[in-house]
Amino acid sequence: MPVVDIDTDELRGLTGRTDTTDEEFKKDLFGLGLEFEGETDDGLLQFEFAPDRLDRLSVEGVARSLRYHYGDDRGVYVPETNDPEWTIEVDESVPDERPYVTGAVVRGVDLDEGALDSLIQLQEKLHATMGRGRAKGAVGIHDLAMVKGAPLQEGAEPSITYRGVAPDGDTFVPLDANDELTPSEVLAEHDTGQTYADLVEELDRYPAIYDELGLFSFPPVINGKRTEVTTGSRELFVELTGTDQWTIDRMCNIICYALSARGATIEAVEVNYADGATHPSEYGAELVRPNLDTDEKAVGHDRIETLLGVDFEPEEVVDCFERAGLDASYTLDEDVTYEVEIPPYRVDVLHPLDLVDDVGRAYGFDNLEPRYPDVGTVGGRHERSRLEDAVRTSLVGLGFEDLLNFHMTSGTENYDRMHVEPGSDAFGGGDPVAITEPYSEEYTQLRTWALPSLLMLLERNTHNAYPQDVAEVGFAAERDETTDTNVAERRHVAGAVARRDASYEAAKGRLQSVCDDFGAELETPRTEHPSFIDGRTAAVVIDGEEVGVIGEVHPAVLVEHDLEVPVAAFEFHLDALQK
Amino acid sequence: MRLPERQLAVLEAASATDERTIDEIASETGLKPETVTGAAFDLRDEGLLSVVETAAETLNLTDEGRRYVDGELPETRLYRAGLALGADESAVSMGRVIGEADLDGPEVDIALSNFARKGFGSIDSGELTADPAADPDADPEAAALAALADGAAPDADDAVLDQLDSRGLVDRGESVTRSVTLTDDGVDALMTGVEATETVSELTPELLASGEWRDVEFSAYNVEADAPTTRGGRNHVLRRTADRVKDVLVGMGFQEMEGPHADSDFWINDCLFMPQDHPARTHWDRFALDVPPMEGIPDELMARVEAAHRDGWGIDGDGYHSPWSQEFAREVALRGHTTSLSMRYLSGIAGAELEPPQRYFSVEKVYRNDTLDPTHLLEFFQIEGWVMAEDLSVRDLMGTFEEFYRQFGITDIRFKPHYNPYTEPSFELFGEHPETGEEIEIGNSGVFREEVTGPLGVDCDVMAWGLALERLAMLTTGAEDIRDLHGTLADIEFLRDAEVSY
Repeated sequence: MPVVDIDTDELRGLTGRTDTTDEEFKKDLFGLGLEFEGETDDGLLQFEFAPDRLDRLSVEGVARSLRYHYGDDRGVYVPETNDPEWTIEVDESVPDERPYVTGAVVRGVDLDEGALDSLIQLQEKLHATMGRGRAKGAVGIHDLAMVKGAPLQEGAEPSITYRGVAPDGDTFVPLDANDELTPSEVLAEHDTGQTYADLVEELDRYPAIYDELGLFSFPPVINGKRTEVTTGSRELFVELTGTDQWTIDRMCNIICYALSARGATIEAVEVNYADGATHPSEYGAELVRPNLDTDEKAVGHDRIETLLGVDFEPEEVVDCFERAGLDASYTLDEDVTYEVEIPPYRVDVLHPLDLVDDVGRAYGFDNLEPRYPDVGTVGGRHERSRLEDAVRTSLVGLGFEDLLNFHMTSGTENYDRMHVEPGSDAFGGGDPVAITEPYSEEYTQLRTWALPSLLMLLERNTHNAYPQDVAEVGFAAERDETTDTNVAERRHVAGAVARRDASYEAAKGRLQSVCDDFGAELETPRTEHPSFIDGRTAAVVIDGEEVGVIGEVHPAVLVEHDLEVPVAAFEFHLDALQK
Repeated sequence: MRLPERQLAVLEAASATDERTIDEIASETGLKPETVTGAAFDLRDEGLLSVVETAAETLNLTDEGRRYVDGELPETRLYRAGLALGADESAVSMGRVIGEADLDGPEVDIALSNFARKGFGSIDSGELTADPAADPDADPEAAALAALADGAAPDADDAVLDQLDSRGLVDRGESVTRSVTLTDDGVDALMTGVEATETVSELTPELLASGEWRDVEFSAYNVEADAPTTRGGRNHVLRRTADRVKDVLVGMGFQEMEGPHADSDFWINDCLFMPQDHPARTHWDRFALDVPPMEGIPDELMARVEAAHRDGWGIDGDGYHSPWSQEFAREVALRGHTTSLSMRYLSGIAGAELEPPQRYFSVEKVYRNDTLDPTHLLEFFQIEGWVMAEDLSVRDLMGTFEEFYRQFGITDIRFKPHYNPYTEPSFELFGEHPETGEEIEIGNSGVFREEVTGPLGVDCDVMAWGLALERLAMLTTGAEDIRDLHGTLADIEFLRDAEVSY
């Protein structure tokens, strides 16, 4: 879950609540769903919150939410936007994999250390969340005074250009470096370049931003040193590139709201996608950004009442909307419907239902009285679950310790240490369901049978007293392309008797008892299995069908598991006992 | 009449006219005094014997007292040493006398204080003078100690005994002497003849069949001795917790679900309105399986789910601005939650089309790529439940979960507004640990979004919740490391010793 770092002095300034203590802020923020997690080394308070309200990723957004919470602000607020002077030209050389760009100019910025830190934090948190680690969207913020606009035509507005560059096609000095590097050198040599290399290194051309002086930013990897933002910067150029126009537009809005909250003026920019460049189909090739238009959604009064279980007057609902930072109007017809206006920093309102949640939060879910729903249904357990339990009861009655082992295992445990060949006909030798990218050598596939788990457990418990009679009714799976999911999932019944006098007879006597419990007819014709001693191994045939194996475990397998007592064991398919 | 052998022996040793003590009877019969006492009381209960108890004071030498009998009292040794050094003639340095007497440690103080008290001489300015008239051989304290050592009653007045008691040389106590006499019934019994019954060590089928068990006495065991613990099998502690959860939910009207562990991402995530670029869907968090993609997903359902992701659901619905592909939806992975089962049931693919009202649950395994630690496993059990009905409200959700958790002793649950991609409103559930009183997260809940229920063809409300069974089990068993419970690392002793919960 995202974490926002808050300087409470900044919060006092931005909310105008100069007398509020840190403890009071913690309590109020908990009410908003921001949970105090601890402090940073620099003494900032860290709050964790669910990833819906990403407009709260910086102190400015958190302060805005608090002002609504305190009732200091009501309804939708949209900052003024001045007409565009600058243009972002999008060249057709832009890589298809990262076609979109957006931006804004911000003037009259007064950045002290705290404000600059907050801006950098917001940028990084947006990268981590909406930006999906910069893959979907990445922000670059530049000192506008260091950008030299190159109008395409005489007398036209100043512009910068988003285009593609060959990996070694040009050079610039990136942040935190002193030398001119080509983009591919940045990926190879620069720390930040190495971190984000996998986002671009497969591309023929890399994304790049140019002004009249040349290459000055290499999104989504790193900005150039020339346009670095400092506390002395007064005017900023914000650009965002990515794979989805809506996403980078919303990220841009959140940044504009944050800077506006500190008194800056937002100025629009034009974005011109050239002929031949991919442009966002839903918005066209010529955009004016940031797009701070509000959204509208309609939600019925009935839906609010039934979902929250509360009777409301329409005025109460409107009041809740306004305290949530929304505006709502309605007409008093038979069915009251609210037209709700949603500010452009909200990224979480996908459906009218989300507005009901906002009403609930503003009303206070704590104020709702729980009630047990007056709905009658009949309960019951699934047949397989009842059968599993019944077999477990039989096994426990025979003195077996009931086990619960992992379903994931390794080929070594499942096959090799049991002396079973993968893909062989032996019981347990089925094709593995392999994990595509295993993270550990211990968990590379699903187990095809349960007996290896039982022997692993015995191996782990050699220091404990014998006899150790253990059993499991559990899951096993093998690859099977005739099934719906291409995985054949089964429940197996496995039992092992580990004791000085463990013998084939001891195992069979117990197996016979289980079969008797379920009225199943057991036959044990002689067979061979690599995990068991020849001549002391049989197939488990229940009601005429071969469903398992029983025998004395081979000494080589015992020694492999560091066992110094004989083990006799059986395993078969649970559904053989089903009537 | 028949009596157990030892009772018969006591009865025969007793007299109708003379009181005989237990000790006397014990030495006569060769039985242990405690056996005689037990038999005597049994005979009294039969009315054959009367038992009289007399309390008497006892005096016994302490270890120190016994030492002084073997040697001499320290003050006597001091006196004799003084005489040897001529202290009856003129004063001698105390150090020399003590050295001569070979007194050491606390004995020195004992010797000096009693020397003066008994008038053996005097001590002045560190010099000792012995009174030639004193006679330690006539010391009544020494005489009393010697008598006690011989087992005789000391011929001494109370003052002397008190003195010995305060010096810690004797123990005063009380003893009960029991004496028995035959009652008239006892005499009659002996006159008419009493036979001894047989003592047997085990009850045999033969004894039962012959009826002989009526005439035998069973030898007594030490019933307080430890016996080796009998180990039966037992259900796994986590299974027991799961069974209890199932009982509770069935009691609340819930039907159990089942379904595949390995399933397509479509059922695991896409139906849940989880965007395909959601961080939890990256390869780091899931266990993708190396099997061909799943083909058997109804085309219309697939199309509706895709439409919800791309364009939203309903008139004012918006989709995600995220990539979406059928290929990803068809990939097979281990389920990260059992909500995939809920999706299958709600869609009708798991069985019949469901009409409201319905309640369903499962307690089944899920797989997540977490770091293994005392509270996290790669595989764990998820309790999943949902209620489908017309016009369900948040209050119904709260009421249902309050009832469920109350069954496990967790009351006063708190609902913290939360966000899930698949529910709105959503709540994290917090409750107080029944023992520690700590506030802990006990579940996640909400009302399924219309983007979830709509494509599945459900047009009423469905509220759902989930929590890890292990979390509940750790609360009820007190286990501190989940790895003790679950998996091949389990310790068999831990499983054998875990207390049964019910």
